[in-house]
Amino acid sequence: MSDFFTEAVLIATVAGAIRLAVPLLLASLGETFGQRSGVLNLGVDGIMLLGAFAGYYTVLKTDNVWYGLLAGIAVGIGLGLASSLISVTLQAEQGISGIGVYLFGLGMSDLLFQRLVGTPVPITKFPKVDIPGLSDIPWLGRMFFQHSVVVYLAFLAVPLAMFIINRTTFGMNIRAVGENPEAADSLGVSVAAVRYATVTIGGTMAGVAGAALAIDLGIFQQNLTNAQGFIAIALVYFGAWRPLGVMAGALLYGFVNSLVLQFKTLGIIPQSWSDIAAMAPAVITILALVIVARRFRAPAALTKPFTRGT
Amino acid sequence: MSRNAWIWLGVAAAALLVIIIVAVSGGDDETTETTEAAETTTTVAETTEAPEETTEAPEETTEAPEETTTTAAAAEPIRIAIVAPSASNDLAFTQSIVDAVNVIESERDIAEVAITDGTFVVEDAAAAIRDYATNGFDLVIAHGSQYGGSLQEIAPDFPETSFAWGTAADTFGLPNVFAYEAASDEGGYVMGVMGAALTESSTIGIVGPIEVGDAKLYVDGYKAGAEAADSGVTVNVNYTGSFSDVALASEAAQAHVAAGADVMTGTAQMVVGAVGVANDQGILWFGTQANQTSLAPDIVVASQVYKWEVVLREILDNMESGTLGGSTYKIDLANEGLVIEYNPDFELSDDVKALADQAIADIISGSIVPTG
Amino acid sequence: MAEVPMLEMKGITKRFPGVLANDRVDFDLYAGEVHTLLGENGAGKSTLMKILYGLYQADEGKILLNGRPVEIASPTSAIEHNIGMIHQHFMLVDTLTVAENVALGLPSSRGVLTDLDAVSEKIVALGKQYGLEIDPAATVWQLAVGQKQRVEIIKALYRVARLLILDEPTAVLTPQEVEQLFATLHQMTADGRGLIFISHKLHEVLALSDRITVLRHGRVTGNTTTEGATRSSLASMMVGREVKLAPDKPETEVGPAALEISGLRVIGDRGNVVIDDLDLEVHTGEILGIAGVSGNGQRELAETIAGLRQAESGSIVIAGSDVTNQTPAGVRSAGLAYVPEGRMKDGSIGPFTVAENLLLIDHNSKEFLDAGLLNFEAIRKHSQSLVDEFAVKTPSLDTPVRSLSGGNIQKLILARELSGTPNVLVASQPTRGVDIGAAEYIHIRLIEQRDQSTAILMISEDLDEIFGLSDRVAVMYEGKIMGIVDPKTVGREDVGLMMAGVSQEGRSAPGA
Repeated sequence: MSDFFTEAVLIATVAGAIRLAVPLLLASLGETFGQRSGVLNLGVDGIMLLGAFAGYYTVLKTDNVWYGLLAGIAVGIGLGLASSLISVTLQAEQGISGIGVYLFGLGMSDLLFQRLVGTPVPITKFPKVDIPGLSDIPWLGRMFFQHSVVVYLAFLAVPLAMFIINRTTFGMNIRAVGENPEAADSLGVSVAAVRYATVTIGGTMAGVAGAALAIDLGIFQQNLTNAQGFIAIALVYFGAWRPLGVMAGALLYGFVNSLVLQFKTLGIIPQSWSDIAAMAPAVITILALVIVARRFRAPAALTKPFTRGT
Repeated sequence: MSRNAWIWLGVAAAALLVIIIVAVSGGDDETTETTEAAETTTTVAETTEAPEETTEAPEETTEAPEETTTTAAAAEPIRIAIVAPSASNDLAFTQSIVDAVNVIESERDIAEVAITDGTFVVEDAAAAIRDYATNGFDLVIAHGSQYGGSLQEIAPDFPETSFAWGTAADTFGLPNVFAYEAASDEGGYVMGVMGAALTESSTIGIVGPIEVGDAKLYVDGYKAGAEAADSGVTVNVNYTGSFSDVALASEAAQAHVAAGADVMTGTAQMVVGAVGVANDQGILWFGTQANQTSLAPDIVVASQVYKWEVVLREILDNMESGTLGGSTYKIDLANEGLVIEYNPDFELSDDVKALADQAIADIISGSIVPTG
Repeated sequence: MAEVPMLEMKGITKRFPGVLANDRVDFDLYAGEVHTLLGENGAGKSTLMKILYGLYQADEGKILLNGRPVEIASPTSAIEHNIGMIHQHFMLVDTLTVAENVALGLPSSRGVLTDLDAVSEKIVALGKQYGLEIDPAATVWQLAVGQKQRVEIIKALYRVARLLILDEPTAVLTPQEVEQLFATLHQMTADGRGLIFISHKLHEVLALSDRITVLRHGRVTGNTTTEGATRSSLASMMVGREVKLAPDKPETEVGPAALEISGLRVIGDRGNVVIDDLDLEVHTGEILGIAGVSGNGQRELAETIAGLRQAESGSIVIAGSDVTNQTPAGVRSAGLAYVPEGRMKDGSIGPFTVAENLLLIDHNSKEFLDAGLLNFEAIRKHSQSLVDEFAVKTPSLDTPVRSLSGGNIQKLILARELSGTPNVLVASQPTRGVDIGAAEYIHIRLIEQRDQSTAILMISEDLDEIFGLSDRVAVMYEGKIMGIVDPKTVGREDVGLMMAGVSQEGRSAPGA
């Protein structure tokens, strides 16, 4: 255990937690928008996968990580609009249609990868940026302020999301539409427009999350996200549909995973426990979910399509 | 909805359509794909004293019909199907069998090779296995230890079809099932010896998926080799608990870095994440299952490469003589089913190379048993 | 009144699949008046108003505002034309504050940012002006029903509504709250606003309106000014024939107590006490009416008597046998008949046929079983006789119940429940949402049943019904009986005060 309390290991544990949290944070912040407006998009993981491939492939061809991020955004917007069409205009059962989007993304990203790339080739990763001043603080500097650019962007997105949801008229419309779409509609708020916007924001963030994951790892392969999109959806519940809560959940998930990895590496947990340890993050998340979710109520119109005059 | 929204929708739909069309027309048919795969491995193989035959693989395939006429009396050209869990070019487990069948295709008269990859869901794999058997394939290779249960149910229904199951050592007593495995601990041991010689921090990190089967064998072999070569070396092992979580494998490598490792290895398809970290940090890497030099040409020292064709040749010989199953095969250093391929761009000192050669010789002679 | 009406709807026709909801309806409104739209459920009032508010589009006809034809394509365009609507079910977002609810859908003075401080100030000012005081920072779910309605009115006023549609605004209010509301509404007409009032509560219509237009089956069947109208003349216009609003009620002998409740305590769905130390007796040959604002424990009381809800403590005795916390079947065998308030949810099984629904409580009776199997011949005979006797209008015995009208489903349930000879009948909201014709019939049956010495506990939020039928009136407030009064001697106002929890005067002895 004493091996654990060394500077290098403690710093790696925290920095690793932050890195692992980032794709989840991006995706679940986006999903928070959709869910607050009453739309559950289960296709997050599929959008992440296609965003991941688009980001990877663009960087592979252009060697520019920002083009890669833009490609992830473009895919996210496209699939976000498609998801909106399915759940808002066509009013499909949200518990099922999202799985369709997921399977589409899973299959299509792999197919495109096989056809266009084939054997995995490493790509340029995001540049690491040391925040001037802060990065020199002993311990904390290396934990928090020596990360790749997307890490900072993801965490800056949290106050931005809070601001949008709580302080803007758009945010007020989102909350109203997710809670009582009939009331919002009767006051001239377009339920469809709000939901198109939020689901597309969710798609965009999922696309960014996927691209960030692929470009941060510098590689792509089949099912790269390994169902992180579904964990992101669970984190929205965990965070009680609030950006801060979502961030706490993503960090907790990242921290538990990072800690388990460190413990296994140092032999603090016997290798024979590895399967049990692998379940720990999921078990902790589910427990937290049960405890936290009981105290907060989901948006009343979550998963319910809206039709005027019924 | 406003008119603009509809227009955007149209744009999105059109974009999606374009993606699909590109995807479908981007590659040609299956045969080209396998050829491409053969070529990519060739570039890797050339770095060692790889036999020229792989480079010629595509051409020989086209010549195949002529050969058929000469050997037609012996046997009909056979059809081989592969069902495997990950991508055909994963630079790991699945690629190893695909490459092997490509080699066989260049040596023998094979009428057709069909591949179903990415079947990490066992039920999907079972459906594919049954499909191939129903469609009259002569040899169906179930390339994944997790497919055993399905094979045990399916094989008795197709007594005329030969099945091969790996990695495994059990044929279920069925007359039409071959089993094959790799002594991956042997190559692991040899590379562990090299790793111990190369580490300056006396710390080595290993990233594994789940502590079972081929992965466990390799990890145990590597650890044994490193510790035998230098008892002062610490070998940290980290099984992430997943064959597919690239991000977790990447973080596991970070954990090894934090623990002081300057030499790493890992097995299964998710290690690409760990290789990326090793590359960033300038940490030496040993690969297994396929030649991983292309992933990080600066830091890969060597890779243990599986030559399943050694096993496949024996299986096909058996089939020609009418035996459809019942025996178990193993690739190892002795039968050259396992080969250590070095990265030509990595300047490995002759001393270390000599240590490796000695370890290989000792294992072949039996004076060293990697995992006893 | 101004020369040009502020609103003219001319020849409005609206078709839904298989239904002609509005058939060439003409309707107009002048500034400064209250024009009531009266009609049964399904007469087409709501459809007409939804067309005016832009929620539906008319198939034919036109709308003129201040003499100019307009097109109202959506609520947004209605709001732009200064039309406001107070919906029957509150259109409020529970998790938002009052100020947010008011600001919703309006452009903000701060661009993309909300301007809730400015909105709050204006809400306070409007509240002062119209006697609608409310805390703009309060979250809506914390508000009482009457306060929520204030928010609805403020929403409309905030949007400078000149024309306000009020769709059954009094349904959930106590008589005192209704009075307050009417005062506010009078002030609004005095300001020159025009109000369209939708209701089927005839005395309220008479109290508030200047003019009344009656709709039946989608058509205008009558126009009258309030001076020329009486409750029965309005009822006749609604139904299309003479209606007896208060059924004749012969004097009967009041017998012994058939339902005795003492010390009853019940915990509600949210874990709070919903019935608190309640004592009540209902005697054979009487109708005990329970008055009260919805949500004061009436539903739970009915469910507990019927064995559908556990009593924490206390006892319930029917015809001498203790049925406390018995199964519903056990309670029924003691002689209880039960007409639940949710006729589709609890009272019937929608996809089942008329005959099947009539059999629900008797399906184990020997009469309908033949060696353990249902005897369909006997069932059909029994069902047909009930359908005939209770004048249930149904195409056949095999019609699924959900395709019948509310009134006919209610008659069907009553037929089933009264087909035995119950000692006690608990009838919860027996005529809510039922057309006047059916309600009249149900009232007559209830009185007949009383005359046959059944003890009837009738729960209703409709004071007309309570006063018209009950021999005694018990008022429930927050799970307690505030008092039991004689409807012949105590007025609505006193009952209304008791419903608001104000007074316990006028308690009379049981059986008086």
